Amino acid sequence: MWKNFCDTFYLNFIKEDRWHYIADGLAVTLQITLLAAILGIIIGLIVGVIRTTYEKTHKLKVMNFFCTVYLTVIRGTPVVVQLLIMYFVIFGNSRIDKVPVAVMAFGINSGAYVAEIFRSGINSVDGGQMEAGRSLGFNYLETMRYIILPQAFKNVLPTLCNEFIALLKETSVAGYIALQDLTKGGDIIRSRTYSAFMPLIAVAIIYLLLVMILSRLVGILERRLRRSER
Amino acid sequence: MSANYGTPLIQVQNLGKSFGDLKVLQGITVDIHQGDVVCVIGPSGSGKSTFLRCLNRLEEATEGNIFFDGEDIVNPKTNIDKHRQKMGMVFQQFNLFPHMTILKNMTLAPVKLQGESQPDADKRAMQLLERVGLADRAKAYPEQLSGGQKQRIAIVRALMMKPEVMLFDEPTSALDPEMVGEVLAVMRELAQERMTMVVVTHEMGFAREVANRVMFMDGGNFVEEGSPKELFGNPRNERLKSFLSKVL
Repeated sequence: MWKNFCDTFYLNFIKEDRWHYIADGLAVTLQITLLAAILGIIIGLIVGVIRTTYEKTHKLKVMNFFCTVYLTVIRGTPVVVQLLIMYFVIFGNSRIDKVPVAVMAFGINSGAYVAEIFRSGINSVDGGQMEAGRSLGFNYLETMRYIILPQAFKNVLPTLCNEFIALLKETSVAGYIALQDLTKGGDIIRSRTYSAFMPLIAVAIIYLLLVMILSRLVGILERRLRRSER
Repeated sequence: MSANYGTPLIQVQNLGKSFGDLKVLQGITVDIHQGDVVCVIGPSGSGKSTFLRCLNRLEEATEGNIFFDGEDIVNPKTNIDKHRQKMGMVFQQFNLFPHMTILKNMTLAPVKLQGESQPDADKRAMQLLERVGLADRAKAYPEQLSGGQKQRIAIVRALMMKPEVMLFDEPTSALDPEMVGEVLAVMRELAQERMTMVVVTHEMGFAREVANRVMFMDGGNFVEEGSPKELFGNPRNERLKSFLSKVL
């Protein structure tokens, strides 16, 4: 039994340095997640501010329309399909590296969810804050920047982190465009060694550990935020 | 009437405001002069707060003009942000910025909007805090303060912009009774320094003592105005009489 385990372990990870597939894949997964998260925050912030501005002032009607279309399309189609369209249709004729393509696809996807998180965050800030900022002479955007968004951001930080934990797991479909992320790395080992259990369980454990660590950090963050409110 | 007959600081002409079919304000014409302390009284729902909020365009007037510093601030083309810097406003709910210290609450606008250096602004803020007896709370956050303290901070935050007029929207209505006095004391001191003030209030004692003009609003317009002595001592309008009989 133990001998068998050691043999399979050797076959899947040690022989021909196969653990590299896992390690390199993990690096790619983390890279895509981090960059897509940053892109998602930027898109989400802009879309969220446009949407709340429209809701409160009825300005930016055209931009709000495009944002609504964006949200509907992105949230109404599977992320795998979006990834495939991004790679084979939008960048079909250019020889762009796969990682930026994945970052864009996942970032644009995540941005739609982040936008709604920011929207609820901005709406959670008391209306008197906007009035107080405006009455001091700040314009709308300055009030947003100095007064509303810092409070909104603090309110949604835990939700935002949970969105990025979900994003981390979602990037596992990057293999659809033959990108060697963590999942694909494990799958490559499986196809070489014809033993599925060990590499796939290893991949699952790595995802699980990452999510557990991140969730733990979010928990600490939440407690910190609550304490600073008192 | 006001003793000062120069150009009014704020000239309100035929001001009207409707929400759809509902007319909240109608045909208001009033001049506010430098150094005036105007108290606006009246039953709830009479349009007092709406009138005050029209003065710095937190509410958009639907008719009429308001001249301030030679410009009609009702005109959508007027740069209202510039004028608001000279019109301090104090709200019923204080509206301090909860994510900033008291000092930062006070210095944010002068530093960002008037280009004052942070040390200069800090220094002025400390002087103002000293005056309202809250210098030791400079590094505290709003939630650590009592209601009366918050409102005193809200007043000095507005003063940091060196406004030409201060607008007070029921500044003591959200306070516990024992904290009303400390806020009114700060406002009284401001009045003594000849700050121009428009105060929407239910504090008849304050109106009687501090205001030089009291205006009674009912049904979206001022139905009677005069010195506190005239208005409280010898009310002519029936609605004012019945209002005063309920609140005094």
